[in-house]
Amino acid sequence: MHEFVDAMDAATSGCSRRDLLRGVALGWISSFLPAAFAATAAEDTGGFNALSALLTGRKIDDPTRSRRLFDALVADKASFMSDVAALLDMIRTRNIPVAQLQTALDSEKSPFAALPRAVVSAWYLGIVGSGKTARCLDFEMAMNAQVVGDVLKPPTYCYGGYGSWAVKPI
Amino acid sequence: MNASLRIGCLLCLLTASAAVRADTTADQVKRGEYLALASDCVACHTAPGGKPFAGGLAMATPIGAIISTNITPSKTHGIGNYSQQQFADALRRGIRVDGAHLYPAMPYTSYALMDDADIAALYAYFMHAVAAVDTSPAQTSLPFPFDIRASMAVWNLLYLDARPFIPDAGKSAQWNRGAYLVRGPAHCGDCHTPRNLLMAEDSSAELAGAQLGSWFAPNITSDANSGIGGWSDQDIVDYLRTGRAAGKAQAAGPMTEAIDRSLQFLRDADLKAMATYLRSVPARRDAGDDAPSYARGQAGDQLASNRGVPLPDDAQRMSGAQLYDAYCATCHQASGEGSFDARMPSLFHNTASGRARHDNLVMVILDGIHRGAEGRDVVMPGFGKELSDTQIAVLAAHVYQMYGNPHATISAEDVRQLRAGGPESHLVLLARLGFAGAIVLVILFVLWWRRRRRRRVR
Amino acid sequence: MTTDLSSDFVVIGSGICGSLVARELAMRGASVLILEAGPRLDRGRLVAAFRNSPRRSDWMSPYPAVAWAPHPIYQPEDNGYLVQAGPYPYPAEYIRAVGGTTWHWAAQAWRLVPNDMRIRSLYDVGVDWPMTYEELDPWYQRAEEIIGVAGAENTGSPRQKPFPMTPVAEPWSMRRFRERLAPEYAVVDNTVARNSRPYDGRPACCGNNSCQPICPINAQYTGGVAADAAEAAGAKLLPNTVVYHIEHDATGHIAAVHYFDPDKTSHRVTGKQFILAANGIESPKLLLLSASDKYPAGLANSSGMVGRNLMDHPSTSLTFYAEEELWLGRGPQSPSSINTLRDGAFRREHAPYRLDFTNINQVFAVTQSLIAEGVYGAEFEKQLRWRAARQCNVKNVLEVLPNPDNRIALSAQKDAMGIPKPEAHYSIGDYTRKGAEDSKPHFARIAELMGGTGLRYSAEGNFANNQHITGTLGMGSDPANSVADSYGRTHDHENLFICGTGLMPTSATMNSTLTAIALALRTADHLLPANASKSAEHAA
Repeated sequence: MHEFVDAMDAATSGCSRRDLLRGVALGWISSFLPAAFAATAAEDTGGFNALSALLTGRKIDDPTRSRRLFDALVADKASFMSDVAALLDMIRTRNIPVAQLQTALDSEKSPFAALPRAVVSAWYLGIVGSGKTARCLDFEMAMNAQVVGDVLKPPTYCYGGYGSWAVKPI
Repeated sequence: MNASLRIGCLLCLLTASAAVRADTTADQVKRGEYLALASDCVACHTAPGGKPFAGGLAMATPIGAIISTNITPSKTHGIGNYSQQQFADALRRGIRVDGAHLYPAMPYTSYALMDDADIAALYAYFMHAVAAVDTSPAQTSLPFPFDIRASMAVWNLLYLDARPFIPDAGKSAQWNRGAYLVRGPAHCGDCHTPRNLLMAEDSSAELAGAQLGSWFAPNITSDANSGIGGWSDQDIVDYLRTGRAAGKAQAAGPMTEAIDRSLQFLRDADLKAMATYLRSVPARRDAGDDAPSYARGQAGDQLASNRGVPLPDDAQRMSGAQLYDAYCATCHQASGEGSFDARMPSLFHNTASGRARHDNLVMVILDGIHRGAEGRDVVMPGFGKELSDTQIAVLAAHVYQMYGNPHATISAEDVRQLRAGGPESHLVLLARLGFAGAIVLVILFVLWWRRRRRRRVR
Repeated sequence: MTTDLSSDFVVIGSGICGSLVARELAMRGASVLILEAGPRLDRGRLVAAFRNSPRRSDWMSPYPAVAWAPHPIYQPEDNGYLVQAGPYPYPAEYIRAVGGTTWHWAAQAWRLVPNDMRIRSLYDVGVDWPMTYEELDPWYQRAEEIIGVAGAENTGSPRQKPFPMTPVAEPWSMRRFRERLAPEYAVVDNTVARNSRPYDGRPACCGNNSCQPICPINAQYTGGVAADAAEAAGAKLLPNTVVYHIEHDATGHIAAVHYFDPDKTSHRVTGKQFILAANGIESPKLLLLSASDKYPAGLANSSGMVGRNLMDHPSTSLTFYAEEELWLGRGPQSPSSINTLRDGAFRREHAPYRLDFTNINQVFAVTQSLIAEGVYGAEFEKQLRWRAARQCNVKNVLEVLPNPDNRIALSAQKDAMGIPKPEAHYSIGDYTRKGAEDSKPHFARIAELMGGTGLRYSAEGNFANNQHITGTLGMGSDPANSVADSYGRTHDHENLFICGTGLMPTSATMNSTLTAIALALRTADHLLPANASKSAEHAA
């Protein structure tokens, strides 16, 4: 679902109201459960964060962004969480390096072949899904923009004052 | 015209004019030209698209429009028949050659500080280097009782100190030069010093900030939070010359004209002198300024929860973050940090968002910033046509929250008022009431006095 | 039905041509009504919509079609509005909204060269125009001054007066092309409707690199600016009015037009003069739709040429990695070209073309490639930087000859308002294919001069569409084989005029917009000379 953050939420800079409510609710509920069953907000994104860190080679330390991309990926494919767990398991068991992962999955026609692409598309492009169900979740803050951010601005953002693009970039 | 072209023209005029006296030297005319730039005569005495100094600019004041006069050396329509003394009287005492009083929209209370040599130089410039224009602009016609120019005589008695500047022996030459320029020709206080009910400058609050229609000429006292106390000398000089103090502030509204037509032409030494003086103006702290106005805010965005969320069909329901994304982020960037080269400034660490008064932030959003000849250089476009009062209020609130002063408030009604020209002034009504009241008092007094006399006679 | 409105001049379509004609007429005191099928647009919302779109290279993504005035949409799925009858697809993109299609263009604003208008006489191909370049020159100049054109000298089109603005600052990437390709190839600054200084109350370019789909700051002239200017001049503009029928009287004089509002209520608008400016597909569609007993083949169609001679500027291209870092994406999207292959004796044999260098940001395309290749992690970041810094592209922009079989017709399919959809019949002829062949060695040589590796030619036989919809309402002096005269007055109806790229009888090699605007301004002067008084009758 698209989360519309209305103007009143602006004060909670970056955090959606749903996140706060979820965190509070879960915290309250978990205080009643035995520790072994305590479900914290972090756990359902845990596998996703681990796989994301593995594939992108970057620290995944933005919980708001993680949560949002995760929710979109789950909405796009209901089995996302279990697929992630299964793929992580496969990678650990067979010790597949990231550089060879996609080739291995493609050549084996693995049921998880689309999964790394879906995860990195979410982080690198900020896009989840394809065709009519494709959603944009990031653009200027997507990882691909950050990778080249010392030289380029994403389209629709000004480069600088008039003529600033005439000089050698770096 | 640029400075060198002007000088070229005036040299031609000089050689052509056989009537030039031996002691009206080219140097004096050049000095007069510089002083005319410092005094910014051209800004008020030229109508938009009109000939320089031929008058016709209607200046909106709380008491009505005051229209500038033709001060070219035209003998039929300008000041061509003025003697140097008459010129000095107009400049220092606000008195026209026909004896009528000028309104203090003409900043004669400031120009009164100018010394005789400078007045003579200005006279030489106007008489010999300015092209005569033989047309008259419309006459100023203010509502009763302000159309009684003679009342200015009383006002002048109360508020005009017509003595030229007296240097302070205990201060440096640089400070004195700065004081002379700031209080005299550059007449900074005419905009930046608050005025009392009778519209005279409140000298106890020098440069502490004043309302000018929709814009607010800010506090530029030496206060570290509310004023320029935390600025370096270079910041001040840069601002006066270019309209930008990097990482602090940029000129907008009427100040851009002051820079483009006047301050940018001043010599480096003079700008430095003005900076020296400004740093000594007694500090005035505005209520609630608990941090420097140029140091508030930080980079930030709400994109992690907003990117990809469709805009509401009703544009009036767009959130602050959505409005920022649609109208501001292109130049000021997604996190408010401004462009690589800072030509598009950061919105945090910027007095535009750091000051608690919202007037100038709203006006910049409405009108943008236009620099250069007749304001043709669009440095920032205005959004007054595209955005409603509600949208601007929501957007400004977002800017304050994300990048600026958390104590600033703004409503759609505030925006509506600023769009309409600023807080309403009841000065005309009050003056009329006051005048009527005075007449009633006089009538009552006369009646009482007559009754007293009659009683005595009986 | 009741007659709602009446006006001296009724303009159908508020794109750049319709709006600028309306503006001229309104400035001269005439009453002008502009009927626009689509809605009003807001520039800021378009910027946000593009950023929110998951389709980064889909320049129609900020411009969804509306049910009552659809336009062709191809992503994520083809909406089937522009029916393709083949044999070759003509997947034109255009915008039915206030301001029209030039909300998203690269603002290339070239003139033709004089020989472009005489290819029959000179080269025995195509047709001659019913006017000379010299006759159109003053209106080219006026068009350039209105929209603010920045250009370099020596781009092949003679001129009497300087450009309003000097060329837009050359991006580093283009400078390297220019320096490395010299002296063999002369790379020149494009002639563009883009501000190299503040102009007309609009700022100078600040390098958003998003000219298509939207210039966020109006540094580039657009139909949106033109529509605002028309309204500011006093023209009345009604959005969401879908004209579906042009009504004539017994003599063939146009009496009125009929339009639907979004609720499909019909309204009738009368006027003295009618100007059809709904683009090169929608205008012929409307003329064909208005067939009557007296005009069974549609209005203005005694020649049978309405909708025919459909042309475009197809492209093939080469993508490669330059050996040095160029970093495309800094500055405007289309800054430079090679202009020297536009004219010559070879035009007898094959199409001329312009060679266009893109400066579009490559990050999205490269990221997609790397993901498709399964490159992740640190290697992805390294490759992204390497490729985004070096990937570049050169394409040709080819002339297409008029061929009556290439045409826009009415489809049997209908849109949501019950109006027949337009149907494109198109093919790419040998003349154009030979031009593409001729350009290939140039592509290879350019890549060589840039130390290029990883050369990827566009697929053989694949021509990209450039949305320059020309020919369908071709002007000419002979009513037997043209739709309108050189003033755009239809031969069949004395008070029905055409404005737009459809009027151009040949396509030449340059983007068509400036020529269409110049023709439209000439039409406006013909309709109502500048020194005519408010109540004066229009010129005969």
